[in-house]
Amino acid sequence: MTMQLSSLKKHITGLKNYIKLFGDKVFVTANRNQLIFAIIITVYQMFFATIFAITISDKKMKGRKFLRVAYFIPVILSVTVVCQLWGSILDGNGLLNKFFETTGSDFKQNWLGDRYKAIYVIAFVNAWQWMGYQFALIVAGIKSIPSDYYEAARIDGCSNVKAHAKITIPLLAETYKFCLIISLTGGIKAFTEMNILTGGGPNKSTFTLTYIMYNAAFKKSDYGYGLAAATVMVLECMMVMLLINFIFRDKNEGKEEEKSRRKRNG
Amino acid sequence: MANAAVKSVKAGSVEGGSKGALHYIFVAFCWIYAAFSLYPLIWMLFYSFKNNQEIFVTNPFGFPWPLHYENYITAWTKYDVPLYFMNSLIVSIGTVVITIVAALLFSYATSRMIWKGKTFTRLFLGLGMFIPVQAIMIPVVKVVQNFNMMGTRWSLIFPYVAINLAFACMVYYGFFKGIPMELEEAACMDGANIFQTFFLIIEPLVRPATITLVIYIFLNAWNEFILANVVVGSIAELKTLPLGVLFFQGEFTTDWGGMGATMVIASFPAIIVYTLFSEQVENAMTIGGAVKG
Repeated sequence: MTMQLSSLKKHITGLKNYIKLFGDKVFVTANRNQLIFAIIITVYQMFFATIFAITISDKKMKGRKFLRVAYFIPVILSVTVVCQLWGSILDGNGLLNKFFETTGSDFKQNWLGDRYKAIYVIAFVNAWQWMGYQFALIVAGIKSIPSDYYEAARIDGCSNVKAHAKITIPLLAETYKFCLIISLTGGIKAFTEMNILTGGGPNKSTFTLTYIMYNAAFKKSDYGYGLAAATVMVLECMMVMLLINFIFRDKNEGKEEEKSRRKRNG
Repeated sequence: MANAAVKSVKAGSVEGGSKGALHYIFVAFCWIYAAFSLYPLIWMLFYSFKNNQEIFVTNPFGFPWPLHYENYITAWTKYDVPLYFMNSLIVSIGTVVITIVAALLFSYATSRMIWKGKTFTRLFLGLGMFIPVQAIMIPVVKVVQNFNMMGTRWSLIFPYVAINLAFACMVYYGFFKGIPMELEEAACMDGANIFQTFFLIIEPLVRPATITLVIYIFLNAWNEFILANVVVGSIAELKTLPLGVLFFQGEFTTDWGGMGATMVIASFPAIIVYTLFSEQVENAMTIGGAVKG
């Protein structure tokens, strides 16, 4: 331990690791991948989770319990099981290609071997697993909305779709904030799916910052460079969190202020 | 129309009134997605009972017949699955026990006792919740090496405790704050010492929180991959089940049935926990997210 510390003291490299990182070609790919990953999982999960949560909030619907379990089960599985499972589905001889073979369409392809498409497929696997999570969050949010609002809307002659658009979704702002933070930072932190499904390949095309760190530290023993990548990743996460908090808070406070000003003036 | 509205209001339902075609489209969509969500898992269960010939050629989609139980026997006897299972179990249970004990004592001290710096300690511990595991991979490995824990199960248990502790303390702190002081005062008047108050009065009152946390931490530790991969990834006798599943990527890619059987065994405890406590699991997982956000 003492040896490690003394060797640490001798090599203070200043910003060299960061300069190397920002100049690295993979850095751009990594950020692009994180962005694609984050956008896909956010849109996919929030879109489906909202639709399912609203549909299932109808207490007269049959099989609600079963549907909830069906959506939530992938969440409790280990990420490695899910990735291995989808790995075998997306494999060259896997289920998906078999399916296209039997239906006679020519979609058959190597899903994870294409350097441009691989990241979308990986993002889909993550989105598939964690959709149920956001679904559970939104269901909990809908439960906390008092039913009088819907009664009032119905008495005023409001259709169901309109009632949900004007009541449910605005009142879920806080829940959506959580969902956004979870899925956007989840995209920035993405690592496991790449590690298991493609190993960062083909040709480093599915690298993310975490993967750069993992590769540098545990494959090449370049700890300084790895930690620089990790620091940039944490900073990106914090920026996204601050940004989302800023967007959601700003609107409400602005409105409140305006209201109180109007009251005073009126 | 008016009748239907009144009915639905009586039933206290969120949706109701006249049901258009749109409603049925949504419901149908829900069921289709449920199939999409479950089919891969059912397929996994099916192919754990098939041999390669059936998986690839004769019967890729449907129900397995005849059942090839031997996949499970191979997985259990040939592929070290019992070892991985035991490792996962020991690590998960160890993590749960240590985290719960530490969090209970810590939160009691920070919410009920009066001492210098208790707010600072609480907030400092709370910072742990905002640090992603991915970012601390390297430091954790270095710390584990420096404490000479490499090659023991403690190398997984201690980092897992550290990761879960902040969240557990926060949940307990919230619960303790909601318990009226008078209960403890009454206990004190009746002559209970601090240990009696804690174990006989306070601990039973926060048991709902304990159950939620036990489930949450157990599932977290059982499924954890990122840290396990870098800490024990190269030590065969310490691998946990999530790592054991990956072991098939290399040497045994040809035995798909055995791989399926291992994956089913690895998912089994989590699914059992979920079916027994589905409500609590959903709550536990979603509080986790809500607080972390």
